[in-house]
Amino acid sequence: MFPENLESPLTPAATGSRRHFLQTAGMGFGWLAWQGLNGLRPTSDCRASTETPPRPLAEPTAKRVIWLFMDGGVSHVDSYDPKPELTRLSGQPAKWKPDPLSQAISAGRKWLGSPWDFAQHGTSGLWISSLFPHMRQVVDELCVVRSLVGETPLHGAQSLLMHTGRSIAAAPSIGSWISYGLGSENQQLPGYVLLNNDWIPNGGFQNFASSFLPATHQATLVRAKGIPVDNIQAADPLAVQRAKLQVLQQLDGQFARDQRAAEIEASIRNQEIAARMQSLVPHLCDISGETAETRQLYGVDRENDFDKFYALQCLRARRLVEAGVRFVEITCPSTHNNNSPWDQHGELKHRHSENARITDQPVAALLLDLKRRGLLEDTLVVWAGEMGRTPHSGGTDGRDHHVSGYTIWMAGGVSAGDRPTAPPMRWG
Amino acid sequence: MRTASPLSTGCRPGLPPRGGIWLAILWIFSSLSQVRANDDLQFFETRIRPVLVQHCDRCHSADAKELQGGLRLDLKAGWQQGGDSGEPAIVPGDPDRSPLMKAVRHAEGVAAMPPKQAQLSADILADLAEWIRRGAPDPRDGIVTRRDKSADWETEFHNRLDWWSLKPLQPVAPPPVQQADWCRTDVDRFLLARLEAEGLRPVPDADRATLIRRLSLVLTGLPPTPELIARFTPDSSSDWYEQLVATLLDSPHFGERWARHWMDVVHYADTHGYEWDVPAKNAWRYRDYLTRAFNDDVPFNRLILEQLAGDQLEPRLDPLTRQNEALLGPLALRLGERRHGDSAAADGVSQEAVANMIDTLGKGFLATTLACAQCHDHKLDAVEQRDYYSLAGMLMSTRFSVRPLDTIDPNEALIERLRAVKQQIRQELAQLWLSAANADTVAATLRGIPADATPSPAFPSTLVEFWKRSLAKGVTPEEFSAERQRRRDSNQANLTVVADFTALQPVGEWKLAGFGPQHGYARDGELIVADEGDAALQQLVPAGRYTHLWSPRLAGSLQSPQLDPLQPVTLSLQLAGGKFSSYTFVLDRALNSERLQFLNRPTPAWLTVTAGRFDTLEGSIDTFPRRVYFEVTTKAFNNYFPPRVGYGGASEAELNDPRSWFGITKIVQHPAGLPPLDELERFEPLFDLSADADWALRLARTLQAAVERWTRDATRPDDVPLLNEALAQKLLPNAVAASAELGRLIADYRSLERQIEPDCTAGSVEEWAEGRDDRIGLRGSYNELGDSVPRGGIRLLGPRPSRAVSASSGRLEWAHQIADDRNPLTPRVYVNRIWKHLFGEGLVRTVDDFGHLGERPSHPELLDTLTAQFLADGWSTKRLIHRLVTSSAWRQGSVPHPQAVAVDPENRLWHHHPLRRLEAEAIRDSMLAVSGRLDPRLFGPPIEPYRTAVDTQKRLLQGPLDGEGRRSLYTEMTLMEPPRFLALFNQPLPRQTVGRRDVTNVPDQALALLNDPFVHEMARVWSQRVLQDGAIQPGDRLGRMLQGALARPARPQELAALAQLVQQSAELRGATDRVMTSPEVWQDAAHAIFNLKEFLYVP
Repeated sequence: MFPENLESPLTPAATGSRRHFLQTAGMGFGWLAWQGLNGLRPTSDCRASTETPPRPLAEPTAKRVIWLFMDGGVSHVDSYDPKPELTRLSGQPAKWKPDPLSQAISAGRKWLGSPWDFAQHGTSGLWISSLFPHMRQVVDELCVVRSLVGETPLHGAQSLLMHTGRSIAAAPSIGSWISYGLGSENQQLPGYVLLNNDWIPNGGFQNFASSFLPATHQATLVRAKGIPVDNIQAADPLAVQRAKLQVLQQLDGQFARDQRAAEIEASIRNQEIAARMQSLVPHLCDISGETAETRQLYGVDRENDFDKFYALQCLRARRLVEAGVRFVEITCPSTHNNNSPWDQHGELKHRHSENARITDQPVAALLLDLKRRGLLEDTLVVWAGEMGRTPHSGGTDGRDHHVSGYTIWMAGGVSAGDRPTAPPMRWG
Repeated sequence: MRTASPLSTGCRPGLPPRGGIWLAILWIFSSLSQVRANDDLQFFETRIRPVLVQHCDRCHSADAKELQGGLRLDLKAGWQQGGDSGEPAIVPGDPDRSPLMKAVRHAEGVAAMPPKQAQLSADILADLAEWIRRGAPDPRDGIVTRRDKSADWETEFHNRLDWWSLKPLQPVAPPPVQQADWCRTDVDRFLLARLEAEGLRPVPDADRATLIRRLSLVLTGLPPTPELIARFTPDSSSDWYEQLVATLLDSPHFGERWARHWMDVVHYADTHGYEWDVPAKNAWRYRDYLTRAFNDDVPFNRLILEQLAGDQLEPRLDPLTRQNEALLGPLALRLGERRHGDSAAADGVSQEAVANMIDTLGKGFLATTLACAQCHDHKLDAVEQRDYYSLAGMLMSTRFSVRPLDTIDPNEALIERLRAVKQQIRQELAQLWLSAANADTVAATLRGIPADATPSPAFPSTLVEFWKRSLAKGVTPEEFSAERQRRRDSNQANLTVVADFTALQPVGEWKLAGFGPQHGYARDGELIVADEGDAALQQLVPAGRYTHLWSPRLAGSLQSPQLDPLQPVTLSLQLAGGKFSSYTFVLDRALNSERLQFLNRPTPAWLTVTAGRFDTLEGSIDTFPRRVYFEVTTKAFNNYFPPRVGYGGASEAELNDPRSWFGITKIVQHPAGLPPLDELERFEPLFDLSADADWALRLARTLQAAVERWTRDATRPDDVPLLNEALAQKLLPNAVAASAELGRLIADYRSLERQIEPDCTAGSVEEWAEGRDDRIGLRGSYNELGDSVPRGGIRLLGPRPSRAVSASSGRLEWAHQIADDRNPLTPRVYVNRIWKHLFGEGLVRTVDDFGHLGERPSHPELLDTLTAQFLADGWSTKRLIHRLVTSSAWRQGSVPHPQAVAVDPENRLWHHHPLRRLEAEAIRDSMLAVSGRLDPRLFGPPIEPYRTAVDTQKRLLQGPLDGEGRRSLYTEMTLMEPPRFLALFNQPLPRQTVGRRDVTNVPDQALALLNDPFVHEMARVWSQRVLQDGAIQPGDRLGRMLQGALARPARPQELAALAQLVQQSAELRGATDRVMTSPEVWQDAAHAIFNLKEFLYVP
């Protein structure tokens, strides 16, 4: 695709250029692809290269993370945190100590028992409600944590808190930290990929930004539909692009020599890498090589678009961690006009069921698939939203925001098969 | 037996037990098994004193090497006074509320004590709790002041004040140099002296073409126009460079460029991000204000004052519009991420926003990280926690409101013309109504109205209701007078008028603003012409203020005085309003509170609201008296308009319609449940006419009398409802078509009304009625509070003001401290910022941090000398820039001597002019300019960026690919999703101060330049233009294109390379037979040139 016999624009005259290049280049999405350009597979010799970025200081047990971000707030009392007492008192007036971490939007609140049935599953006997039927198959992989406490029962604040540790000031995303802190496992790939489903969670792009860390550690956004990454599709016929790149190499090379500027050299190289990324990235996002069994497992051929694309992103997540991406985050689609996907102040039964239908099968499939490929041992999978939902309600089919104790689960990595960290509490 | 506390810590819903239960159980056992000492003092001596000595004294006594947290536990007075928090460490009698107990119990949110050790034994904890329960008897008398801590801190603080950036300016004469002929200015002498000391020498001047391009891009952000190049290239005069500098400093684009630099500091965005990304109220007017200010070279100390306290300054008028620029300055205080909701709905939101603003003010003006002191004294710099809360008090005592900017009334003449037409309308209507109000006619109409199937039990209050009632059994005079008396008595007993707008001079403390209320005084029976539709009049109004008296395009607001948040007060406002006028309670610094309700009531009616109890709303923490006021606004004065998508049901068309209105007559206070009652005065004549038995006629005559009074301009207040009812019931004609004359007059009125210029408003600030000091947030918490701190000062700038009795926020005084010539820090910081923008890096590279974590200046004497000159020049930005760009140092070429690179690889000594990548905006703007698509107009509302995905829920809408050809400054900065093309080239996320942008060099940028549709669109536009240039040979055209893009003549090898590309493109695109006329071929050439590094970098 790219002419192999191109004369290098870099000349010996540019003193110390290679070292300088490494210092000045931003080491962006795939810059190191330059080093292993002979194919699309990672080459092992780049690891041995003296130019490898610093290795992590401590050897982590989990080597990469997949975060299934369930934004809007899955109701913990309807999913992984059974409340027998709540079921018993359902419909009765709710009395509790006013709690700033738990919203009570309307007056006259009543306890609201879960409309879903809970049952114990697997050898661990973990409780899961009928909201997530597929998750029962992988129940023994889960470590359910029922003790998350937030700062403010608002989506934007909590989402930023979950991602950056701060609810309003700008700080790097957890994905950026992981990418920055653990270094690159596969140097051809970005450290942090956001597999998006059109909806951008509350708090906006700050959730995925590198803030004061180098910009290369910000999330690379991969869309579910259409062209996965901005500008990744060549705008010109490749032959035309090649002709342009040739003349640019020549003229920019002269400019770099004239200016004796290493950053120009880095910039020239980025252009070459960019040209190669046009095929590298789509290859990673392309699931056409997956088996029929795998497609079925994830449900990528399901009828509904939301279902299909969420499944696609889950499958891509596996492909990406398999190829060595450090941190992959998958966000939920928004199926209707609402503050965020799981934010069911009303229509709890309808919309929670819908969201569960979209995510349940692909998420369970992701765990199964990672496990059978031996990836689950060192991949930490986190299923977490930014809040839970109130056990009480002003109506009969909705719950408000609740961050004074809610539930997430983790699987893989170090946490496989651990027991819940807290026994179910009676209330919320 | 009380075990509440240990148990409750473990029982927080959903929290894992943290050992609390075990502790409690142990404690129960231990207290049962041990015989307690009866004597309190003996208990202290045997059980407590040894524990305190053994476990606490090392850090909390006079013997402590360094007293920790300011807390002493070796004297009774020590724990009574508490530590830095100012809170007693022990609450005698109540172990659970005692901070000391919380600390030793390792309670959540409290520093565990003793630190870095296992918890004290259960026995000891039980003893301590028992001691406190007994009232903490303590014989250890002795006076302890916080002197110990303070003395340490004072010493430390003064040590920290001994820091280069806080010292007085020390301007010096430039040092002697050897290569004196290189120096054009003193700047050169300072720089050269250092270079020579290192054995280095500067590089010669860049060539003229390079200088013209560099100067144009650095001063205006745009490449030089061909005209500019043509004017200055052949110029042989010795002062061509001076003239070029002067020309560019005078360019209107200069202000755009330097406004954008400052916008990075105040983190400008057009929206507030967060969940709904609601608009920042007319923030773009502030952006334009900055452009005008830099173009007019408004002294920067004045700009500081305006941005901090422009609401309290003498107006500074824009000569063109006569609008008050000073009021736009404080918009800077509102920018940034803002949550929806207010502090009673979600506590802490105001404090968060204040933290962000303190950070901005500290870094922006003082390059000091003041916000680090939110939780504790600064770790390194001379900033204490009290400084932070002093500023917090100042900012919390400042309220956000939308302010009118006009100082002259643009509509005066127009309103006079409207008044004349309205007078004619009134005369015409008088004729029509007099004949229509003929009692027999009206009575006949009434007689045609049948009774209701189920008669209403309510006492009648309209003509029709009286008529219907009469069909069963008419109201007797006795019944009427009893009902009337009851209502009058109730009103008399319960109502207190707090504001009255029925007279020309309003009564009460409520404030009106805007041209609507200013022109809106109506006497009883004034008419409001409908601005569209078949009806001539919208309504008649009782005396009051109506923003739409002449036109609903005029805007207005009504603000209550500050209300007591703890006293529930019930108010009723006789209010009309429509077209998304609104009312709301504003709490603290809420900008977009969802308490907002839209008004939709065509005629004035009582609206009852209850103020107060905002501190005890369910789900909120009762921490601090909130500042509350009530306001009624039209769209233009509403902080939260446009609201988030869908709020209040406004369509996007309605959001953009300037029309909005309200009217107010009176505001009364009354006990809850006893609102004002209609006293029915207008029906009094019914019973004076009792001789006439026919109810229809009695009602008709009552109306007729009211109409007659109206035609004589003697309308009584209570006539208005009668007349409005008659209009609604079509008893009186109100169609535009009622007469030809009326139709003509209404058309005249409406065509004039449409010319009304709406009020110009923008988000700004004003003082709360009552300034209030803030209390220290312990460890930065918003709900655990320590002492209060006098507001409005940081010790770094001098003694904190004592402001116990002053009502003001202290903002103006603080602004004066910041902008004071005697304060060396502010001008140093600003001069360094300007230097950075001109020279690529600052003399202090950490432009936002002049503290101990920042870098020191590379040339301190130069910085001080420049700063002193800047002050002597009256804080003139343009003179400073002129001084710097006319130096030889700035005019140097960009290619360093190799040996200089070896000695000083980072170019800290400026041995050459640094090669720089263009900023995001300049890249985009250069493409617009070179392609010919640039629309060079200044100012105006922002333009949505082009997006690859839209989100209508957050109003992230699709904008035009080319941004309408406007400069990047005018691309909407939506905080939720900033413009991607610009973000890719390091335009910062507008949440925090960024005085020095990152310059990354990543493949994503190359991908964008190769494939982004904007880049291709610009190449297309350019190709369309060059096809018309009449060139015969590709080389001619390519030469002109390169000259246009790089502002220098093309070189032969460049032309050859590009010509080859043209040839290849023509072959690949099948256009070899029409090379010179193929749009695709020339788009390819243009695109390649946009990708040239030289196009993206300034040597």
